[in-house]
Amino acid sequence: MKYQEIFPVPCEWVQDIDESMVETVARWGEQEVVSGRLEHTEDYDKLLLPAIHKLFCDIGLQSMLWPEESGGGGLETAEVAMTVAVALEQVGTADTSIGFLFANTFAVQSTFAVEPHRNEELLAELAPVFCGDDVAVGSLVLPGYGGSNAAAREEFYGLPYQVSAERHGEGWALSGEAVRPQCSGKNAAVFAVAFDAGDGGPAVALLGEGAKRLSSGEPIKKTGLAASLNADLDLKGVEVGGGRVVLTGEDRFREMLSFYYMSCAATILGSLLAAYEILKEWGNTRVIKGKGQVFKENPLDAALMGRAASRIATSRVLTYTLARMLSRPDIYGPAGSQGMFNTATATFKQVAGAAMLSMNNAMEMMASAGYATEWNLERYWRDVKTIEGTVIPETAAWAMLARHYFGCRTL
Amino acid sequence: MPGIDDFTRPVEYLSPLDRSLGEIVRSWAEKEVLPYRREYDEDWEEHRLIEPAFDRLMGELGLQRVLFPEEVGGWGLGHSDYLGTGSYRMFEEIARADSAMAVAFGVVFWPLIMICNEPHVNMRLCEEFAPMFIETNKAVFTANAMTEPQGGADIENMDLLGGSTIETCAILEGDEWVINGHKLWPTNSAGVADLFGVVCTTSPGSTDPEEFAFIFVPADTEGVTQGKPYQKAGMAADKNSDIWFENVRVPSWYRACGPGDDFKYFKEIISLGSMGTIAFVSGAMMNIYEILREFCEEKTFRGRPLKENDDVAGVLADFVRDLEVIRVIGYQAARMMDRPDLYGDRWSEEMVAKTRAFKYFAADKAVENVGLVMNLMGAHGSDRVRDVEKHWRDLKIVQLWMGGKQLCQMEVARWFFDCETL
Repeated sequence: MKYQEIFPVPCEWVQDIDESMVETVARWGEQEVVSGRLEHTEDYDKLLLPAIHKLFCDIGLQSMLWPEESGGGGLETAEVAMTVAVALEQVGTADTSIGFLFANTFAVQSTFAVEPHRNEELLAELAPVFCGDDVAVGSLVLPGYGGSNAAAREEFYGLPYQVSAERHGEGWALSGEAVRPQCSGKNAAVFAVAFDAGDGGPAVALLGEGAKRLSSGEPIKKTGLAASLNADLDLKGVEVGGGRVVLTGEDRFREMLSFYYMSCAATILGSLLAAYEILKEWGNTRVIKGKGQVFKENPLDAALMGRAASRIATSRVLTYTLARMLSRPDIYGPAGSQGMFNTATATFKQVAGAAMLSMNNAMEMMASAGYATEWNLERYWRDVKTIEGTVIPETAAWAMLARHYFGCRTL
Repeated sequence: MPGIDDFTRPVEYLSPLDRSLGEIVRSWAEKEVLPYRREYDEDWEEHRLIEPAFDRLMGELGLQRVLFPEEVGGWGLGHSDYLGTGSYRMFEEIARADSAMAVAFGVVFWPLIMICNEPHVNMRLCEEFAPMFIETNKAVFTANAMTEPQGGADIENMDLLGGSTIETCAILEGDEWVINGHKLWPTNSAGVADLFGVVCTTSPGSTDPEEFAFIFVPADTEGVTQGKPYQKAGMAADKNSDIWFENVRVPSWYRACGPGDDFKYFKEIISLGSMGTIAFVSGAMMNIYEILREFCEEKTFRGRPLKENDDVAGVLADFVRDLEVIRVIGYQAARMMDRPDLYGDRWSEEMVAKTRAFKYFAADKAVENVGLVMNLMGAHGSDRVRDVEKHWRDLKIVQLWMGGKQLCQMEVARWFFDCETL
């Protein structure tokens, strides 16, 4: 396990398949991303798209939950959560934005391709998409702040759904303007759109990129996540059959979000490990105060490095523990329970916050090298900050946690 | 309804020019910068959008002349009682629109401080250099060439190292300085500046203040080579690059103040740089306040406008609390630059330490607050359309320029606690 000796993980939870995944993805990162970054920085067409294709299609991350006979990886139980965590740690180390695409894709797939919710009909229907030779990114469309473009008054934990739904036969007609997906609004293969299903609570429907009356705007410019060509969506009564509604009810919705938060935490953990390598190189090679003192031997800097190491170590244990809990519902209970969902939320917030603190400290130590593109740290910093805000607004996260842990009744 | 002009500042400190300077710069910013600034990130190499805006502000409106004495066509700010507060107002208004433009503009005056400010005005050099700034409608920039590859912020760490790590060497041959060396990161390098102030030593390894030399070098002098601009996390309007000096010859009188005095007055650059940094911070935060007001009225959570949620209001309150404090200490720093008769010399260790303390307090608070604002805004925080993310990237750079945070901490501790080895 990469970094095992430096930042230990609970190794008894890591299986052979996970070890193999780490090796494969780490090699992908070196060959497909790191080696080309100096020349192509964050160029989507020249660097990121070929790397995504290699990872998603050739290595097969996007098809890992499909049966082997369909060309997939044959994984189907919740134990895949640990495999996803170790993979995303490596992806995030190479490129956080690609990790974020896979975190979304896995969360979308978890709704219909992980036991006990495997939907064989849908798996067969979507096999050509996810087991083919084209990149297929899944993207979540989650509740967000309301405002002039809020389509529905119903809320999930205070956040209105971006999309409204009306019954249409056995299915639904979905509408919403300027709907902001989590990623890849311009080119995702499948959108998992959350909406309020009335008495059934939240529901999620899958929409293909070619769905009628679904259109996307121009890619938006944003702080980071260069691999995500995100764009707002317009849904003008997009019809979706009942078979494409992959979940209903709060438990199932929370389960999807728990998998998503774990995946994002693992991606960010990878960024933290990359930042550690960058800072370590700086600390080993830089000399300050004239020519006498190696940077890392300065007590002030060492104190900050110590804090960063502490945050990485605890973030890694936290993330792996969450992955373990999600992978073993027989021990820890269902992934969609309120308790598990809050653990996932807390873990994501803790890891993201720790990463931002550590990267901010690292930039402060590296000064201009911290914000120069050449040293790469600033890219991880921008990417993690973008994920931190995009996944869930902080206000909503704290309210959710307070409601659970302190029994708040009006939040 | 309160707005950006309602944040507190000590009004009795303000320059008689405060209102007109503020109006000129705000009007310029709203016409020439705010409508275009979202495109600046893509303009970091060429400055096709950025350069015309600078031409308007500095050349046509004439603000590049302010520091020079009236005798050479300037506005005389360098020998007025309003050097600090007058500059602060301009910097803050520019930074409200774009803090990188404020840095690039502020740095125009940085090397000129050495020759335009009382009590060390070098009239011969003022007369020689003023026309290039005054007899044109185009923006003319200077750069302060300090940082070197081997030592980073060691150059600015004057009191510990006394210039001993400077490797850029100036040798007097007849009536010319011959300069050799390599500098990194100056604001307004990569072909922007027409005039450099170059930190040199006349005896490598020496800690003798007399060997520290601050020498002006026109950018087109034979032997000067500049690299391509570095790509950074933000601050597109501030170009930085390598500069190489290879047997560069300039007249002997291009040394700013002379042996001993170059070392002494160079610290004034640090004090004024710290003061300027606070203005960049408060200007950017004022704009974030404007954006936040709009955002928190438009967006809803739990069925109410964001600002009507107690937890959101807590974040908003912390933000404006810190902006209030930052602005007050910023104007206090500016006042201390204005009135050395009351507060002490601008180049004293005390003033370096106090302005460094103010600067890193302001920058740390801004970085912390804007990070929380981005989290509050959720997915909209990282959307370039909202402009907050631009300020977030830029403010991180503002926090780290001039030697980074740790150097500030050392200089502050050194003076207040009389540390001897830091």
